[in-house]
Amino acid sequence: MMKKGWDEFEIGAMLRTFDGKIDDIAGTLQEDRAYSENSSFVASVADWRINKPIFNKDFCIDCQFCWVYCPDISIISRDKKMIGIDMDHCKGCGICVEVCPTNPKSLLMFPEKSDEETELATWPAKNKETK
Amino acid sequence: MSEIKKVKNLKEFSTSADRFEGANLLCPGCAHSIIVREVLNATNNDLILSASTGCLEVCTAVYPYTSWDASWIHIGFENGSTAVAGAETMYKALKKKGRLKQPEREPKFVSFAGDGASYDIGFQWISGCMERGHNIMHVVLDNEVYANTGGQRSSSTPIGSSATTSPAGRVSYGEKKNKKDMIAIMAAHQIPYAAQVAPNKWKDMVKKIQHGMAVDGPVFINAISPCTTEWKFDPKDTMHIADLATDSLVFPLYEIIDNHELNITYRPKNVIPVEEYLAAQGRFKHLFKDEYKYLIKEWQERVDEKWAYLNRREEARV
Ligand SMILES: Cc1ncc(C[n+]2csc(CCOP(=O)(O)OP(=O)(O)O)c2C)c(N)n1
Ligand code: SF4
Ligand code: SF4
Ligand code: SF4
Ligand SMILES: [Mg+2]
Repeated sequence: MMKKGWDEFEIGAMLRTFDGKIDDIAGTLQEDRAYSENSSFVASVADWRINKPIFNKDFCIDCQFCWVYCPDISIISRDKKMIGIDMDHCKGCGICVEVCPTNPKSLLMFPEKSDEETELATWPAKNKETK
Repeated sequence: MSEIKKVKNLKEFSTSADRFEGANLLCPGCAHSIIVREVLNATNNDLILSASTGCLEVCTAVYPYTSWDASWIHIGFENGSTAVAGAETMYKALKKKGRLKQPEREPKFVSFAGDGASYDIGFQWISGCMERGHNIMHVVLDNEVYANTGGQRSSSTPIGSSATTSPAGRVSYGEKKNKKDMIAIMAAHQIPYAAQVAPNKWKDMVKKIQHGMAVDGPVFINAISPCTTEWKFDPKDTMHIADLATDSLVFPLYEIIDNHELNITYRPKNVIPVEEYLAAQGRFKHLFKDEYKYLIKEWQERVDEKWAYLNRREEARV
């Protein structure tokens, strides 16, 4: 976005999180909010990542551990189901992979440049040793 | 509006609409944001929030962006608590005069601050808020160091931790003073609720936040916030370190109601040695040298002693 310089604002100027009014914010999901250009929601930190998580829904039990422990609101869960990762906001920390309890894991880290389809096709098999 | 939000289990919790946004500038794996999400998602009420200077504030309000979807104020390092207390006082006055446009909405007033901003620099402001009885909640993001300015010790830094102003080296094992017991100090203000929480115990956290928001009067919450940068561990291990902290009893989870009813809210099935908690973090690395190993034993003794004390208080209801 085009940034105004600090001295270009009128005194008392206001930057708003949303365009227009949202009456019940706690009851309005992200996709239904009109974020303004001043919410960090519209920004991206994708270029921070060296590694990225890939989600394999075949093994997922929808426990939501990844949702609650992701620091960056990047695990998208709707109607109690984990449905994907927000790759604009994911910083590649790897916490979601660590807390995923399935065997094999439903989330794994790969180098940022990896191809999702290839990785999903060669997903590791169940680990016989416990955990 | 002011019913307590139903959060039976994690699946139900995951239907929350977050009011804290990504693409903030906190480090990958930072626990501050995990704590903030759990606190905000514990309620559906409107929120009036503040953040004192520190990582959370600096990384979530970088012009032209904000990461907050609620009323939010930042003034200085020391006065996030009083900023929110001022808003709460105004709210009460307008309510009394019948001048609220939507009187049925009951906003919750929450101040977030680091340990530096709470244990040291904002101490008298918080004490004032507690003593005056504002209906606010103060949440400390306790990473036991001034993280945002590069890791100086605070009065929350524990013994033996290497901080930039108390570095470990040839002549020193690092920090020499023990961590200040802020929860006891805050409870001594006769506030209705003080508690310690940890992000890995999300359910305990939500319960305590909901209790704190339901009571009338000031609430103090100390949240352990493992800091990948200053504690020196891999960002993927934040929750593992938090588990070690709660399960070694280095961070016991408990609450104090009206300064006399102390309840331990989490008793680990397998208590792990403090040594394992220390060994997992670079800030304690030097303690494993032969000449400093006696400190690990002392650490364990201190933790055992504190745990015994908490148990005695729980039983005695004093
Ligand atoms: C009065 C004042 N003193 C010092 C500073 C510099 N300063 C900014 S952030 C910070 C550290 C904050 O530490 P803490 O409160 O523990 O929060 P953390 O960054 O660790 O989350 C310091 C010392 C300041 N902004 N204002
Ligand atoms: S890698 Fe980290 S930021 Fe990305 S989705 Fe997983 S927990 Fe969230
Ligand atoms: S932690 Fe793993 S199993 Fe649980 S919801 Fe996330 S991806 Fe699915
Ligand atoms: S330095 Fe620590 S507290 Fe600050 S943003 Fe990084 S991980 Fe979080
Ligand atoms: Mg700190």
